[in-house]
Amino acid sequence: MLASQLMDLRGMLHSQGVIFAYSGYVTEPVLSGVGEALKQKLTIDDADTKTLRSVFAVFVEQMQNIIRYSAEKAQPALAPASDPRALMEIRYGILTIGREGADYMVCAGNLVERSDVERLRAKLSRIRDMSKDELKALYKEQLRAEPEKGSKGAGLGFMEIARRASKPIEFDFTDVDATHAFFALKATI
Amino acid sequence: MRDKLDIQATTRTPAVSFDFMQNHLKITGESYPEDVTEFYGPVFTALDSYLGKLGSGTCRFDFELIYLNSSSAKAIMMLMDKLDAAAKKGAAVDVYWYYDKEDDTMQELGEEFGEDLQNAKFHLEKMPG
Repeated sequence: MLASQLMDLRGMLHSQGVIFAYSGYVTEPVLSGVGEALKQKLTIDDADTKTLRSVFAVFVEQMQNIIRYSAEKAQPALAPASDPRALMEIRYGILTIGREGADYMVCAGNLVERSDVERLRAKLSRIRDMSKDELKALYKEQLRAEPEKGSKGAGLGFMEIARRASKPIEFDFTDVDATHAFFALKATI
Repeated sequence: MRDKLDIQATTRTPAVSFDFMQNHLKITGESYPEDVTEFYGPVFTALDSYLGKLGSGTCRFDFELIYLNSSSAKAIMMLMDKLDAAAKKGAAVDVYWYYDKEDDTMQELGEEFGEDLQNAKFHLEKMPG
């Protein structure tokens, strides 16, 4: 029973070409560890330098998006700020890396607030539909700009993903409950 | 001012080798730190203190980066801005951007940073080997 259940899960991932899958709370050390294994696997696959760097770059941005922005988080209830546990907030997401023919695909999913969906959809549509030159121009513009309200980085993550991808990015949202939606983003390299 | 700033590379952070006596500063490796501000803060501080006293002196800065994430790109831009500001004040600043010839993304990024330098002299070079 146990073996067949896990085999089924593995089989399902396998049938979708998935070679790495992580579902759970993501922390920076998880990124480091999975990232090292990913580099090793790409080296074993004899991926060319550009592919290796691009898959890895997309992986880092996708993982950091989950770590920073997933709306599903575990944190100690009402811990006072002086309590070290008050900083122990961790966020949940799913990330897979797989093969599709000669391509690699890096997919990430996490919960977002439903009130953020339209903003994200507009931003991602714009990036998806841009040429590489337009993306380069927007990247430069954003590099100099103040990050958007609520941003915890440089606000360049989605653009970096699109620039490293060899095909247009794909994304989707599905409502989960009254306040949350599930957000999925796929990049092909 | 200290004579040197030396930070060893880690898996996620580049080696920093600032030799202020020789006016030769270098950043080498990969950059995707857990916390960009925590890593680059001391680098900015040391650079500010050095450039503040450079006057019309000369300075060479080598960027030999294999990979940087998007948050680090912002920090690199800020380093470039500091170097350009020092050049504007009269220093002779040479910025070298070395890229892996197999990775045109890093070449493009170098070009983008180079375009924004008004006063420092920019050199785009392939990494040897």
